[in-house]
Amino acid sequence: MLPRMTRDEIDTFGAELDALRDEIVADLGERDARYVRRVVRIARDAAIAGRALLMFGFTPISWGVGVAALGTAKILENMEIGHNVMHGQYDWMNDPALDSQTYEWDNVCDAGQWRHYHNYEHHTHTNILGKDRDVGYGLLRISAEQHWRPKHAIQPLSNVVLALLFQWGVGLHDLDLTRSLRDGKNTTELRQKARAFARKASRQLWKDYLLFPLLAPWNAPRILLGNLAANLIRNVWTNVIIFCGHFPEGARVYTLEETRTESRGDWYLRQLQGSANIEGGRLLHVMSGHLSHQIEHHLFPDLPAHRYVEIAPRVRAICERYGLPYNTGSFWTQYGSVLAKIFRYALPERLAKPATA
Amino acid sequence: MPDSRHGHTQLSKHMLTQFWISANSCTPMIDTHWLRPFSDVSALDDLLSRIHPTWALGRVKARVAAVIRETPDTRTFVLQPNRNWPGSVAGQCVQVTVEIEGVRHQRTYSLSSDPARSRRIAVTVKRQPGGRVSNWMHDHLQVGNVVELGRPAGTFVLPDPAPDRLLLVSAGSGITPLMAMLRDLHRRAYAGDVVFVHASRTRADAIFGEELAALAARWPALTLHVHSSSESGRLDATALAALVPDHTARHMMLCGPEAFMEAIRAHWQARGLDHLVQVEHFGIPRRATAPGDPVEVHCLRSERTFRADGNDPLLLEAERAGLRPRHGCRVGICHTCQCLKQSGTVENLLTGRVSSEPNERIQLCISRARSDVTLAL
Repeated sequence: MLPRMTRDEIDTFGAELDALRDEIVADLGERDARYVRRVVRIARDAAIAGRALLMFGFTPISWGVGVAALGTAKILENMEIGHNVMHGQYDWMNDPALDSQTYEWDNVCDAGQWRHYHNYEHHTHTNILGKDRDVGYGLLRISAEQHWRPKHAIQPLSNVVLALLFQWGVGLHDLDLTRSLRDGKNTTELRQKARAFARKASRQLWKDYLLFPLLAPWNAPRILLGNLAANLIRNVWTNVIIFCGHFPEGARVYTLEETRTESRGDWYLRQLQGSANIEGGRLLHVMSGHLSHQIEHHLFPDLPAHRYVEIAPRVRAICERYGLPYNTGSFWTQYGSVLAKIFRYALPERLAKPATA
Repeated sequence: MPDSRHGHTQLSKHMLTQFWISANSCTPMIDTHWLRPFSDVSALDDLLSRIHPTWALGRVKARVAAVIRETPDTRTFVLQPNRNWPGSVAGQCVQVTVEIEGVRHQRTYSLSSDPARSRRIAVTVKRQPGGRVSNWMHDHLQVGNVVELGRPAGTFVLPDPAPDRLLLVSAGSGITPLMAMLRDLHRRAYAGDVVFVHASRTRADAIFGEELAALAARWPALTLHVHSSSESGRLDATALAALVPDHTARHMMLCGPEAFMEAIRAHWQARGLDHLVQVEHFGIPRRATAPGDPVEVHCLRSERTFRADGNDPLLLEAERAGLRPRHGCRVGICHTCQCLKQSGTVENLLTGRVSSEPNERIQLCISRARSDVTLAL
């Protein structure tokens, strides 16, 4: 049961989180710069090693190791580096290579579109039905509050397809095709976005499926398959982690009405109650781009993500004091509950009233 | 701009450099995204720097070769630049980028070295009270460290050919560009004569004092006047004119604190001698105004300047002035409105922090101007 908080309590809750944020911001420095540079180097070295193994190796083992290395590189670059850099987590360094507004990442999603629909839309309107299109991605029904549509009936299957092709879902997300196809509108804005998407996607396809195979033509098929496999690994992993961020049991959705007038404390509450963490070790945290700490990420999106680990106990303590739930669990608990929801909500049921705060 | 002393053998390297530089600039010569990751200049630079710390495709990096204590509060940092250093002309300055606790800071310093020695260049830095970079350089920058440099810039250079009679006047750290000129003139056996006037608080504070005295002793063309204001009072325009009786026939290069230069310049102007004067302004950090004091905001990209009342965030001010900067959440979360502040002082409305750092990224929705600012907007 969610506690009913007074206006004062919500305000002090917000103030405590603000103070925590200020404390971390004042502490940012050498340690954080060294960390991100180290991760950038590891990802780059892994990519070089992976691609070299694919290009110059001949055995299935070297192919496997190459794919693992390249997959790891893509995961790290997309999640721990790209997503976090674009949030502005490292802008304070004044390093043009880590500038949130100019960074371009290694997947088919145009960084400008990502910044728009993720940094701005998703993080401002988190879990608000009708405003946050990350709720179900226009494809899945993951809460009782969403209206059932026939396409939801096959969502256990569409979920798998989406996972395998996840970078394409991410890349097309800003085009809002479900709505455009339904409304039949072909606006200039849509055409511009489609062009930007096509440009980015073409460059990615060229790089992974033409450029690198052509650089070592004796191994072209092996390279092509290896790059495909690495992309698949990244797609599935990022999909699973991202789905664990807002879909596990206990994460709630909101309506437009109840969020119309929101104070800073209310915003923090929505971020907290709409997100879920995954328990795990350091490897999980780094490989998930610290989205294992989705709660802390949503409270403080522009703090360097590796700091979430040390912030988490303090956030948890604040929540306990206010009697607020803190949604966390093992990987299989969280992802299991996501799969359960996908199956459960595939079928229509009487529309439930959204849980009130 | 940089003196092109390249032989044609350097030309192809220069072109290759231009290609790689433009690869990461706003207006690429060709769309190099298609060559990624091979056109990722910062990645390639990072790989190169792992082989050798100053290697880079287009950027100028320099290793600190020596640190010389000139006076108790002034040090010369002798730098060994990489091959991308194009050479400079005496009197020019360079932007130095240092990384302090993970944050890159930039400051512009005059080169004090003889430009012919381009393997060893030098900047002479005076410790500024409260200055973040000058103090860090004094306390932490050591031999072996690597800094990044911009390209030499500035038009405060001697006329070519050099006039027969020169007057080089400086006060405090303003001596740095003039020292470069003097060293340059001496090395190329300047045929005219030069009067060098330097004002400092005490004799011990006179930067390059010993070297100047030694030079004056063996070089007849040089007449040296070192003025100590604690002994003889401030060096004002009248005193200077008296010190150098034939100043009306000398081309003057002037560099020092603003007030010092203004007074001398006014005196020269009043006597119709302004055509003899060349002046170098060291950037003065703007003092923060009180919140609510009107300020001017210069927008580089849209080439507009507007007045702001200094109370509201810059995003609101820009919109009131008719501009339409990118924006998102407008409360400091999404960074969509982030933009580069080239210069000026702003206050972060969330943290209260006031910063005058040049070339700093700020979020327009949570920053208000506390001085005139220049934005890349």
